[in-house]
Amino acid sequence: MRPARLRSCISGPAFLLTGGCTLRGAPAFPIMGAYFPGWMACALIGVATAVGLRVLFLLTGLDALLSFRLFTYVALGVIAALTVWTLVFGP
Amino acid sequence: MQRIPVSSKKPVGIIIAVLCVGAATAFGIHVSHEDSAHPSSDSGIIDAEVVHIASVVGGRLKALNVSVNQRVHKGDALYQIDPEPYELTLRQAKANLDLANAEVENQTRLLSVKTSNAATAGDQVSRAQTNRDLAARTVERLQPLAGKSYIPWQQYDQARVALHDAEISLAQSRIQSTAATTAIGDLKSSIAARDASQAAYDRIRYELRQTTVIAPADGYVTSLRVKVGEVLAPSQSLFTLIADNEWYAMANIREGDLEAVGVGDCVTVHSMIDRNTPIRGHVQSIGWGVLSMDSSGIARSLPLVPRQMDWVHVAQRFPVRIRLEKANPLLLRLGATATVEVRHGAACP
Repeated sequence: MRPARLRSCISGPAFLLTGGCTLRGAPAFPIMGAYFPGWMACALIGVATAVGLRVLFLLTGLDALLSFRLFTYVALGVIAALTVWTLVFGP
Repeated sequence: MQRIPVSSKKPVGIIIAVLCVGAATAFGIHVSHEDSAHPSSDSGIIDAEVVHIASVVGGRLKALNVSVNQRVHKGDALYQIDPEPYELTLRQAKANLDLANAEVENQTRLLSVKTSNAATAGDQVSRAQTNRDLAARTVERLQPLAGKSYIPWQQYDQARVALHDAEISLAQSRIQSTAATTAIGDLKSSIAARDASQAAYDRIRYELRQTTVIAPADGYVTSLRVKVGEVLAPSQSLFTLIADNEWYAMANIREGDLEAVGVGDCVTVHSMIDRNTPIRGHVQSIGWGVLSMDSSGIARSLPLVPRQMDWVHVAQRFPVRIRLEKANPLLLRLGATATVEVRHGAACP
């Protein structure tokens, strides 16, 4: 089962880079005449999410509670990337 | 300014870290399984069947009714080869056929003449038989008379000679009758000659028809680069027709994912000409063989085995053929890049 309505609502910097909310089409993105696979966009979103969460947690003070920050932020980025993949490309 | 230690041993932080890493690992395994169960490929191509248009007869290109990239319909006349040589040959074959027909009629007349001759010879036999019987009866009657000298011996002798003559005449007429019957013969050879001429005539007529080339299917003309006047050899291809009635997508799927691909499975295909329009298709077949570098070599020769020590082997991929349903013709161009999603995607809810 796939929540199709979520797909049109997702937006973010990476989506703007790849041509706005056009992720409903093929799982490959044309950039300067070359097709990049969808999972690459997901990986970029994961990296961006990890960095964004780090900044957010530093500003809100949540960061002080964490230990093993590298693993935590990497894991959060991975979860974000896999979530996007599941919603957009997943079966 | 407060310093934040890199790794402070706070139990809450450790719990959060373990939870996050555990969730990411479990989610990763789940996504990996999902990906294997629903194979996809972004290196597919749009494919169609092609016909190399050629005529089985050769000659000078006299009329060309199509131009490159034009759409044609099944039955349209595509081009014509100069029919004159074939028309002349057809006339020759027609004359041969008429000759053979006339020969059959001639032989029929001859046959009836020979049949009459044989009948006449048969009548001759019965006449000679009657004459011989008469001569034999005469000899029989004269024999006792001549024995008692009631008639001259000369008369009896003449009757015996006449009988001998009549016997020879009968034997000769029998031989003649047999010869005349044998000479009747039949029409087999002239009929066979006529059939051969008819076949030659039909063959030339077929060749004359083949000087006009008809489109075998709806499609698009490609690779046409010649004009009227080109001389074509028999069976020389003039251009390629891309058949438009069926379109396919060919996607290479890794062997490990093939068990998740079944014939008839719904497939979402995106032609990269417009990556926002999904095309629905169904798996038609999965390729049964690809050429492998490890099994190459000339047949009947020794196997070619490269010396190597590979520890990592890249998965082989097999072509999966997907038959597309009706789609916008502008999206379907042979060789266009396509992404293929088996049993998921926008076209397979």
